[in-house]
Amino acid sequence: MTVYSFYIFDRHAECIYKRRWLPRPASITGKSSRPISDNPTVANGLTSVPGPSTRSQEDDAKLIFGTVFSLRNMVRKLGGEDDNFITYRTSQYKLHYYETPTNIKFVMLTDTKSPNMRVALQQIYINLYVEYVVKNPLSPVEHPGGVGVNNELFEQSLEQFVTKVLA
Amino acid sequence: MPVYSLIIINKAGGLVYQREFQPGLLKLSTNDYLVLAGTFHGIHAITRSITPKIPNITLPSNPSSTPTPSSATHASSVSTTTVLSPSSTSASTPQSSTPTPTTNRPASSSHLSASTSSYPNPSLPVTGLETLETEKFRLTCFQTLTGTKFLLFTDPAMPNIDGVMKTVYELYADYVMKNPFYQMEMPVRCEGFDRGLGGFLRGRA
Repeated sequence: MTVYSFYIFDRHAECIYKRRWLPRPASITGKSSRPISDNPTVANGLTSVPGPSTRSQEDDAKLIFGTVFSLRNMVRKLGGEDDNFITYRTSQYKLHYYETPTNIKFVMLTDTKSPNMRVALQQIYINLYVEYVVKNPLSPVEHPGGVGVNNELFEQSLEQFVTKVLA
Repeated sequence: MPVYSLIIINKAGGLVYQREFQPGLLKLSTNDYLVLAGTFHGIHAITRSITPKIPNITLPSNPSSTPTPSSATHASSVSTTTVLSPSSTSASTPQSSTPTPTTNRPASSSHLSASTSSYPNPSLPVTGLETLETEKFRLTCFQTLTGTKFLLFTDPAMPNIDGVMKTVYELYADYVMKNPFYQMEMPVRCEGFDRGLGGFLRGRA
């Protein structure tokens, strides 16, 4: 299973954290292909420059928020207020969604073969976000621009969780 | 294992057919269904454009080799197999990376490049949203080669939605497309289609 990217949106529709992982090279090539332009190792997406594509990562985050927000509202309209949008799949990727009672939205893009990641997103919220962001006495209540979320402990443990537990 | 409802959206995002077969979803007004069709049309395009790209592995295999079949029956069989086949594999257990496509295979493996980015499944054409799961229902979207979208709302545990979708598409081809009085892209009012769907889907309660 491959995780492509991970996003957190706060209740003001702002992307407070985003992180992209380069998937392992496909088995047909066999060579480890890591581009130098993208900075995949340490930095989070907030500080990185826009990628080579015409659309920047900022725009990608906005598009993803718009998609999950619209789908969430559509699902609630059809299934009732207590229904929840869990995941959708295209031929190329799968998007997983988890929303906390405080309207923080966790979104993860994985490959299409991945199982249901709702529990994993819940784990990230409970064991990483609450522990390292909410319980951090130096962290602000709101996180405009990702302030408070981009602390070392959270990023390291998220990295570990995705690469070790989910791999 | 009920099928809740069926929605057909034309290539411009307009609602051309909506029918409920089993109660289970909330009732919406006609206007809300029109809004829903338009919204879904937009989301479908966006979900395709936010497909993650993998840098430096292979060239994207362009879905330029999409089949251009000559007859309508051939079109239905080809498109349903190519577009709907991955849902059956990925919905079940995760398996090793053996792609299941039937077409476009030789085109992708021949291209190797070191400078561009590719899509995760280069052997499959890039599509928009295909299935959406919630706690209460599952939405399966099938887009025909001409851009018409079929949205099937079913129980999350219902098996063989691909087969149901294929039959619905065949009914559409038989009763709507072959109806000489049907105007393209306009709302579907064909008695034969209603009867065929009713007989097929109501029996699956």
